[in-house]
This record gives sequence, structure tokens and C-alpha cells, in this order.
Amino acid sequence: MVSFVTARPAPQAAGTVCSAVPVGRKFLNTHTKKQTDMDPSEVEFLAEKEMVKIIPNFSLDKVFLIGGDLGPFNPGLPIDVPVWLALNLKQRQKCRIIPPEWMDVEKLEEMRDLERKEDMFTPVPSPYYMELTKLLLNHASDNIPKADEIRTLVKDIWDTRIAKLRLSADSFISQQEAYAKLDNLTLMEINTIRAFLLDTLNCMYKLRSNVQ
Amino acid sequence: MSDALSDDGSDFNQDDTQEDVMTPAELIAKLEEAWLNEKFSPELLENKSEVVECVMEQLTHMESNLQRVKKGDAKASIHRMEIDRIRYVLSSYLRSRLQKIEKYFPHVLEREKSRGEGEPSLLSPEEFAFAKEYYANTESYLKAVALKRMPSNLQTVDMIKAVPEPCLDSFVFLRVKERQENILVEPETEDQRLLITVDPGDIPEIKTAQRSHQEACPSSSPFIQNKD
Amino acid sequence: MFCEKAIELIRELHRMSDGQLPAFNEDGLRQVLQEMEALYEQNQSDVNEAKSEGRAELIPSIKLRHCCLLRNQRCVTAYLYDRLLRIRALRWEYGSVLPANVRFHMCAEELQWFSQYKKSLASFMRSLGGDEGLDITQDMKPPKSLYIEVRCLKDHGEFEIDDGTVILLKKNSQHFLPRWKCELLIRQGVLEHVVS
Repeated sequence: MVSFVTARPAPQAAGTVCSAVPVGRKFLNTHTKKQTDMDPSEVEFLAEKEMVKIIPNFSLDKVFLIGGDLGPFNPGLPIDVPVWLALNLKQRQKCRIIPPEWMDVEKLEEMRDLERKEDMFTPVPSPYYMELTKLLLNHASDNIPKADEIRTLVKDIWDTRIAKLRLSADSFISQQEAYAKLDNLTLMEINTIRAFLLDTLNCMYKLRSNVQ
Repeated sequence: MSDALSDDGSDFNQDDTQEDVMTPAELIAKLEEAWLNEKFSPELLENKSEVVECVMEQLTHMESNLQRVKKGDAKASIHRMEIDRIRYVLSSYLRSRLQKIEKYFPHVLEREKSRGEGEPSLLSPEEFAFAKEYYANTESYLKAVALKRMPSNLQTVDMIKAVPEPCLDSFVFLRVKERQENILVEPETEDQRLLITVDPGDIPEIKTAQRSHQEACPSSSPFIQNKD
Repeated sequence: MFCEKAIELIRELHRMSDGQLPAFNEDGLRQVLQEMEALYEQNQSDVNEAKSEGRAELIPSIKLRHCCLLRNQRCVTAYLYDRLLRIRALRWEYGSVLPANVRFHMCAEELQWFSQYKKSLASFMRSLGGDEGLDITQDMKPPKSLYIEVRCLKDHGEFEIDDGTVILLKKNSQHFLPRWKCELLIRQGVLEHVVS
């Protein structure tokens, strides 16, 4: 008998004649949305858990929420509440929001300058600085002095950081590193490159391990 | 790729030990942690059915309390907003698991079958029932519509071979909760190994490596924030 | 060429965007199955001949046909499975009752698969505890601001919101209402969410 099997001689069952078919590839694949993606609305959802100071114009006893107690609320007395509640109360004109300390033109200018000077990522004032700026400026801009300047400054800081992030992602890939330290990056920032960077790395990993 | 990060997990596993008394706030934090981990992990993680059950209880309890609240209560709307938020996290968490179960069903069931005595189950009883039904349903569908009409030697498809496995070599982002020394990261080239030390707050980015890694190192799961 | 028909099935789905479900191609499937039958019969007789008469020169063509058989099987299964995933997505989008035009595009076995899938999902959700379980096909997006702007599409009469306030839902009137109070009315077509 002529030997026709090249790569892997397979035991021949009565019915099957040969098996030199590429059966290794998985073919029942799914192309649903990538599992590891995170929607910006979800990051915003997480940001809404951050605490912010408000000055209520109503009084209300302590509220025993599942996630912890809030209040009591007294008119004119500042109190910390999660951003999701602050925004709702603000929407219903029940409070004034006090912007976080870092949401201040002078402080942000300093941060912007430092961010531009340093090669590394500088520490951010809040892990959700971008989302909080957006949320508070969109819903309570009348409570935030120099709202427009703040918007621009935060955007500048963000742009500088994203540019750095792109640069380092590029060198991470081209130098074929297995590990990168991404200290001081926020979830939203990582999110801008997550899908792209992880796909790229996984792809390159596959290509390389097949070569070997 | 494999043996790098396995085997030495015994000393930092206390994280997983059952606490008997947990405040509702801690419970919610646990749920959020499980949610984010599940969302970012390429593979199905161990089930947290006791957390799911407790959160469901909290929600049901709060809902029934709210039924009795008199109209116009300002607190009620605050409670409702919180319930909405928790229910979203819970649903999203369960959805994310179900999606993986459907995507990898033969492998998920296989792992469940080969699970050793005393090893925690990957799937909750409800998820296990769902996965089995999904398998049977899909298999009998393929048979009924096409396979049984094919030549006798081609009437089955090996689901394990046909359906893709989760890619355990994927890269992930991690946030470090506790300092860990000498974490071994294997670069692409075999001859060079990298030892790193990670401190709380660091966000190193490394491959998921092997499953054993995730068990060994629950503290450095993706995007867990230290909320202590 | 062998396997052309099978590839055509795959192409058909590939051309469709993710959410779409084209009509079940019963005819295409039948043609692939016929080709498989023919390939199989030819192989059976060639195998017998190769064995009994020692005709080794038949083996390459036997091998070729067998590859084609496997490829056909693979393509058909991939076609069917991809359709299942699309059908599954519909459950999450439309709920448990599919629109008639979608059902029209499904074969009997697919309808059966779908109804079993619905059952499995429903019993999973019921088993999650609480009185009625948890409908995880709801709450697909993170909850946003609790109050939303709505427009009234038809006269609905008086409507009481949680804090006891009663408002009059008149056609074309606009209101600022708690989201959870409006959801049902929006689904019923009484209110419409005004997106600013």
C-alpha cells in the first residue's frame, strides 16, 4: 500500500478513510461583543459611587441604605453623599453641590504643567477625575466657579495623558515586553486602549507561539 | 507558559475564607468586586452563589419594606435609586457569567466533570442546570436539522473540539491589593524570566497565565480596588 | 468544485450584519447533504475496490473526497451554530416573544431550540431567589439619573407618583418623572422618553 499520510498517520476506522484534514481549528466560534470590554457608561456608573459634598436645603433623618448610612440632612449643613444621589438631588433642586477640592483652576493648572513636564504619568486627584468633571459640569455647572476653564484644563490633562499612553503602548508592543507598569492610570484611561491593546497583544502572542 | 505562577498560593489564600458576619455594605462590595473580575476575566471564575443569594435577600427585603412606606416619603426615592444600582450590578454580573457559559459550554461542563473532590464548583447549581440544558438542546438541534441526514460516520460533532476554549494566555490589566514579591512573569522568549514585586495600587499588565495563577493570587485580580 | 454550496451558506451569513437573521436556507442545506451523500457513496465503492483489488492509486481521490466530506460537515455545523447565536441574541433583544417576521425566517428545529432556550433561561432566572427570581434580561444599561423627561402620547388621566403628587397625563404634555414610574407607560406607548 502506498503511504499517503504525511503529517500524522491516523488509525483508520472502517468507514473513515483518512484524517489528514485540518480539524484542529475551532469552528463553532462566537463573535459576540468582546468579553473584556467595558462600556464608558459603566465606568461612569462606578464614578458615581464617589463621595461629594453637598449643602441640602431640606431636612431628613438618617437613611439606612444597604450600602451604608447617609445623613441626617439639615438645611445649610454640608454633608457627604455619593455622586449619584448628589446629582439627583441637584436635578430636583434640593441641594447645592460643593465641587471637590481639586476641581479648582489653580490646582488644575499646576497638575497640567506637571503632567506636561514629566515623562511618567503623574498621580491624579481622583481615580475618576474625568468622569466626575463631566458629571458635575453637566449637571451642576452653576455650583462650580469657572466651570468652562475647568473643563478645558481637565481636557488638557486628559489629552496629555492619553498621548503618553499611546506612546508607551506603542513601545510596549514594539519591544515585545510581557509586563508593563501602569501606575497612576485611571480606569477610563485604560479603557481607551484596553480592547485595542489586548487584542493586539493576544494576536501577536498567537503569531509568535505558532512560529515556535 | 504554565508552571510559572502556580503552586505557591497557600499562604495568601485567607482572602477567600468565609467570614460569618458580613455587613450589607461589605456584601455589596463583594458583589462589585466579583462583577468587575468576571467582566474582565477571559474565563469563567468560581461562582459566588452565596453572595448572589444574600444580595437577592437584601433587595427583596428592601423592596417589601418600601411597599409599606407611606406616600411622599423622601427616603423611599433614595432607597429606590440604590436598589436600581445594586440590581444592575447583580444582573450584569449574572449576565456576564451566563454569556461565558454559553460561549464555552462544552469546556465549562468538562471542567465541572473533572473537578476533584472538595474542589469548589465553578458553576452554581442553577448555572450547572442551565449549561447542561444548553448543551443538550444545542446538540440535539444539530442532530435533528442536519447531522442525522449525513453519512453514518459523520453524524456527530465533537463539541469539545469544535467550540473554542477561553484563551488563558490573554493579557489582562491588574490592580494590586497587597504587596507580592517575586512574581514570575514569563516573557515571550523562553530563556529570559522576569521577577517583579508589586505594591498596592500598582497596575501591572501581564498575561492571565494559567488558571492556577488566579487561584493562587486572588488578591491581584483585575481592577480590584482596595477599599479597606 | 466540491464544498462550493457549503461555503455559500457561510458567505450568506457573513454578508449579513451581526443582528440580522436571513431566511433558513433549507435548499442550500439539502444540496450540501446531497453532495455529501454522493461523495460518501463514491468513497464506499472506491474503498472496496482499493481493498479487494489492491488499487492503491484510488487512495488519493478517496482522501480528497473525505476531506471534502469533513469540510462540508464543518461548514454546515458552523452555519447552523452561527444562526443559533443570532437567534439567542434576539431573545435578549426582543424578549421571549419574537416578531412574526423573525419567526418566519426560522426553521421548525430552530423554533424548537429557541423555545427550549427560553425555558432554560426562565428557570435559571426564577431560581435566583426572591419571589419571582430576577429578570436579568432587564437592566441592560447602568441606571442613570432617576428623573427623565417624558412626553405624553395619549390622554391617560391622573397619575400618582411616589411622593404622593398627582399629575394629569394629557396628550402632548411634557413631564419630569421618576424613571421607574414611567417604564411601563413607555412600553405601553402612553409616554415617550424625550432625549434632549
